[in-house]
Amino acid sequence: MGKRVLVVDDDPDVRLFSQTVLEENGYLPVLATNGEEGEEAVKKEKPDLIILDVLMPRESGIRLYRRLKTNKKFKDIPIIMLSGIAEKSFLRSQKVLTEFGGDPVPEPEAYLEKPVDGDVLADTIKKVLG
Amino acid sequence: MPKILLIDDEETNVRVLAISLRSDGHEVVTAFSGEEGLEVFERESPDIVVTDIKMPGMDGIEVLKNIKKRNPEVEVVIITGHGDIDNAIEALKHGASDFINKPVRDEAISLALKRAQDKLYIRGKLKEYTENLEREIERATHELRLQSNFLQKLIKTSEEGIVATDKKFNVVIYNPAAENILGYSPSEVLYTKKVKDLFSKELMRYYQAKRHEKQKKFKLQHLETKILNKDGMPIPVRFIGTFLYERKKVMGSVAFLQDLREIKHLEKELLMSERLATVGQTVAGMAHGVKNILHGFKGGSYLMEVGFKKSDTDKLKAGWDMIQKNIKHTSELVMDLLSYSKVREPEYEPCNPNEIAEDVCQVMEETAREHNVEILKEFDPDIGQVAMDSRSIHTTLMNLVSNAVDACVFDDTPGKSLVVKLKTAHEDGNMVRFEVIDNGMGMDKEVKKKIFTSFFSTKGHKGTGLGLLVARKLIEDHDGAIDVFSEIGKGTTFIVRVPFMELEEN
Repeated sequence: MGKRVLVVDDDPDVRLFSQTVLEENGYLPVLATNGEEGEEAVKKEKPDLIILDVLMPRESGIRLYRRLKTNKKFKDIPIIMLSGIAEKSFLRSQKVLTEFGGDPVPEPEAYLEKPVDGDVLADTIKKVLG
Repeated sequence: MPKILLIDDEETNVRVLAISLRSDGHEVVTAFSGEEGLEVFERESPDIVVTDIKMPGMDGIEVLKNIKKRNPEVEVVIITGHGDIDNAIEALKHGASDFINKPVRDEAISLALKRAQDKLYIRGKLKEYTENLEREIERATHELRLQSNFLQKLIKTSEEGIVATDKKFNVVIYNPAAENILGYSPSEVLYTKKVKDLFSKELMRYYQAKRHEKQKKFKLQHLETKILNKDGMPIPVRFIGTFLYERKKVMGSVAFLQDLREIKHLEKELLMSERLATVGQTVAGMAHGVKNILHGFKGGSYLMEVGFKKSDTDKLKAGWDMIQKNIKHTSELVMDLLSYSKVREPEYEPCNPNEIAEDVCQVMEETAREHNVEILKEFDPDIGQVAMDSRSIHTTLMNLVSNAVDACVFDDTPGKSLVVKLKTAHEDGNMVRFEVIDNGMGMDKEVKKKIFTSFFSTKGHKGTGLGLLVARKLIEDHDGAIDVFSEIGKGTTFIVRVPFMELEEN
């Protein structure tokens, strides 16, 4: 049985791309279109890995990432960030939120900046899942 | 007291009369013949001469003629014999001021002298007045000339164009600044053209309407507008016109024209440099959009690769769709960037704003229907053919209407009937107002603040973030303005005001 991978992205093309990469490499993709849906899916589907976008309407990837990484139940689920936002900007925004009284969060297991090749995404998933 | 010369060949008469007159306070000189009388006259310059008419040698008439020749202002009183009317009339013909009959009675002579004296006095006053008047007139004329020179110099050196007319609206004043704006030489305009030949009908109507308003309310109002010069070029000016009244009747009109060409030019340059700065500063913002597009291309080609490998047409199609979508996106972004950073003078051409609006509605109709959004039209039938840049208007309305449809699509209030309305209206001063009204999701203050900044988009992967920026740029290049009103949950209204030019007759 393949591992479950949750893809959270508002862009349908990106979801389709990630979904195809996952299917081609024998994983079971689960899809969500924003942070809110993503959180629901994490609770319900208990995925083995999350591929998360940063800029999304409603709940952004920055907030969802914090919530998951500060939640005992979910903090060990590995997350690959996949975004047009540079890694530096993402880390800085997390740092700012921590300084404003949030709990410290670890860096993501992997950070991929768009555009990403299908093979690179597949390799990264493999590496993160061990 | 005037000096009196008495002439009579009868010495006794002279002496008696002289004593009587002296006792009345007159200064009296005497002579006993016409010839002597003239000699004394020369010497003494009397004001009044009293002479007998019948004298041996030179008679009274001759004396009168001689004296009047020497000094017409001297009053001459003639003494005639009783009943000698013919001589009396003869004397009056030659300018005698009065005559008295012999024998000379005191009352008669003093009355005659009084009358002569009054005449002298009146004549003296008259002379004084006349001289005064002449002096006054000369002074006033001089003053007037100075003032008129001053005014002429003022008008001539004014930086503002001044065109003034008489009450029949013939141009009578046309200064060099006006010449500089309008391009006609003074001889082509002065006394040969009327104001309506120089300024547009619309402008004339505007002031005609103002004239009929109550005079009390009438205030000078300036109008930023464009007027056509001799070569048919539109010149931007600030225009102030007014009627000139004298005793509540129109005596003429005057128009002041402030040349805005230089200012407009500077404004444009400033805008341009600001725009370039915006583009420069936000390369980072653009990078995000470009990264997403590139990711779309990679995603699409990955899908196609998988499709080829497995002969899976669905995957091929999905990949191809993705690539096409991103090609479209790329071209939109590039076109937006180009039209945003390019300086383009509006191309005025005959068009009907209502037809442009109609076309935009038709293009958007299908997309709107797909999302259950109704498009309503409310066009002002008063708008006819005008000259504007139809491409700029079309692009702007397309951007606004498609935004409005999106705002409705993003509104997920259940059961709400979603409507986008496009309104047109003719406004004073050659303006068309377009309104794009939607009842979609609306914007909060934060979003409203950012909508005209570059690369801001609430549409996620759908927008280039440049649509409104481009719309505003096109409208500003067309000397128009965009306003926005929005309330969250209730909808948004964009109001575009653009000036047009009237079409030439024929």
